[in-house]
Amino acid sequence: MLLWFLPFFLILLMIGLPVVFALLVSPIVLIMMEGDTRNVVAGLYRNLYVGMDSFPLMALPFFLLAGEVMNRGGITMRLVEFSQAFMGHLRGGLAHVNILSSILFAGLSGSAVADTSALGSTLIPAMEKNGYTRRFAAAITAASSVIGPIIPPSGIMIIYAYVMGKSVASLFLAGIVPGILVGAGLMLTVRLLADRYDLPKAERIVNKGQGISTTEYWVSLILIRINLGGLLWWIGSFFLPDGGAELGWALFAAALLAAHLILLGYRKRVSADFRTVAKKAVAPLQTPIIILGGILAGVMTPTEASAIAVAYALIVSFLVLRSMNGADLWHVLMKSALSTSAVLLLVGAAVSFKTVVSLSYAPQIMSDYILSLSENPLILLFLINLLLFAVGMFLDAGPAIIILGPILGPIFVDLGVHPVHFAIIMSVNLTVGLATPPMGLVLFVASTVSGEKVETISKAILPFLAVEIAVIFLITYVPAISMTVPYLTGFLGCGPELSFGDCISPPPGGR
Amino acid sequence: MSVLFGVLTPLERAISALLALCKVLSVIALAIMVTLILGQIFFRYALNDAPNWTEEAARFGMIWMTGLMAPVAYRLGGFVAIDMLEQALGRTAAAILNLVLLGITLWLLVVLWERGLNNHLDTISGRGCSSTLRWPFGIEIGRCGEKFANRYQYAGLWVGINLLIVVNIEHILRNVVTLLGGGDRLTDHRPAEDIAGAS
Repeated sequence: MLLWFLPFFLILLMIGLPVVFALLVSPIVLIMMEGDTRNVVAGLYRNLYVGMDSFPLMALPFFLLAGEVMNRGGITMRLVEFSQAFMGHLRGGLAHVNILSSILFAGLSGSAVADTSALGSTLIPAMEKNGYTRRFAAAITAASSVIGPIIPPSGIMIIYAYVMGKSVASLFLAGIVPGILVGAGLMLTVRLLADRYDLPKAERIVNKGQGISTTEYWVSLILIRINLGGLLWWIGSFFLPDGGAELGWALFAAALLAAHLILLGYRKRVSADFRTVAKKAVAPLQTPIIILGGILAGVMTPTEASAIAVAYALIVSFLVLRSMNGADLWHVLMKSALSTSAVLLLVGAAVSFKTVVSLSYAPQIMSDYILSLSENPLILLFLINLLLFAVGMFLDAGPAIIILGPILGPIFVDLGVHPVHFAIIMSVNLTVGLATPPMGLVLFVASTVSGEKVETISKAILPFLAVEIAVIFLITYVPAISMTVPYLTGFLGCGPELSFGDCISPPPGGR
Repeated sequence: MSVLFGVLTPLERAISALLALCKVLSVIALAIMVTLILGQIFFRYALNDAPNWTEEAARFGMIWMTGLMAPVAYRLGGFVAIDMLEQALGRTAAAILNLVLLGITLWLLVVLWERGLNNHLDTISGRGCSSTLRWPFGIEIGRCGEKFANRYQYAGLWVGINLLIVVNIEHILRNVVTLLGGGDRLTDHRPAEDIAGAS
């Protein structure tokens, strides 16, 4: 009888029961109808609790909080101005700015809804004023916002990693290139549309003659030198014996000096306004560097990195930018706690649900059914992408991952798809679903922000969705796109005996 | 209708006051969680002596934050659901469907309430004591003495279920009012901003 819990769950979901309750009602009803002689329902209650009682999961509220603090602290405007200084002068300049801002914002926030809301309220009116139609502006905002949960930090990847028992760090690293690829694809589309619809250029600097506080000036000056010096140090270590270990800190000092000289040389080539706008973006853009740097260096777990990100965001907003006060802090804490609590309860319910999934024969039956369609993993991946895309049209990415991950993940891992690769396929596909009609969440947010109808935005977004779907298939059939970064950084856990190809595409039933 | 509003209005006020307190406690819990983990990092790297209780204390905060704030999210409509069927139906049919869904939810919450209570009172883990969390200043309470009882942490979820039941009853009453044609007299609980979740 337990086998019927999946169809029952789907019926409850389709008639509108909130996902968190549907995940619990369907197995509990069937277990209680059988008598519950072994007190399985009490076990499900315990798993609901155990599912939420997790240290790795704590990264979720912390990353959400860091993003909210940054956004509340006036970071959005700085990122937009920074992006515009680089891309505003191109044909379709503000559309490019919208996409680049989303890529940068993704490194701070990890939420497509937050991205649409924050960037849309700034950029949609600006684009309209610059000669774009409102529906185009809303469509590009919604389309580019899906980059948010793909580039780390990412809320849905934390959830996937937790529910499926995978490493958060490997998923974060695997998301970097696909996220940038989505951004590049969207920029290419804008470039093509710019010729066809004669999209306008924009000024590179909107607010000329802006000032910068002394504290922020010095903080930016030091940080940009440390960033560039660190990059030169890292590159230099490849060309020196023992990675330059003998030279120690002297090498870093030389790299810092070289960075200083490069920046002095560059200073003469750009205007004072450009320099000010760039300096104002330096402090906010340290957040992804801190998060990824801490995790990659092995000195911090993702949860600790997320707490550091919160501390950094607070220091920047309160002490450097001086753009937040106590009331703002209260508001962001409240908003983060509210968003997180609904998700954590959902994750707890998912862990209970997963227990019943494993108790029932559902995965075996699903597996047999899927394998009866074809034994070719490439065809099955194509079909599963269609399924995920259809699910993404109606369901939010987080709950969809929670429901489908435990069912589909093991099947495809057995077929020879690396668990991290499958996680990225699922995450990117369901994230794109956030911008897909008829129920895409960010379409509704973009509609609220722009005042344009969802139906109108849904039509205007189609060319961008086509590009995103192409990227999904590219990621699916070329695992190296997403897997190279985690492989090179040693986060896939492959020993030296395994080649790159064997590591990222293990043999069927291999791992 | 006046009888319904006679029950609903004081209930809504009581829930608003209760959830306002929950919001304050949740915000405090979140702030403490961040502080504890930052403290853990500081003690580990600066003093080379990481305390063993910070992680469990932060998880304690997270369970209570969820338990106290999830009912607020539920009240504001922040639990994800596919509402296409409801939107396709007329007002009366949608209200009846909602009542059925709320009834199912109430049944679930009551089952969880009962199993949760048993879990905290009867099971070995519920009666157990924390391995790392201790009362400060040498305080000793109950059977666990200086250690925290596990049920203090478990209670976070159970309290949350109690609050969800109360909010669910409020939703049921509001739907009955809507069904009887008084929907336009109800106060709007929808949030000013979207609840982002993890997406």
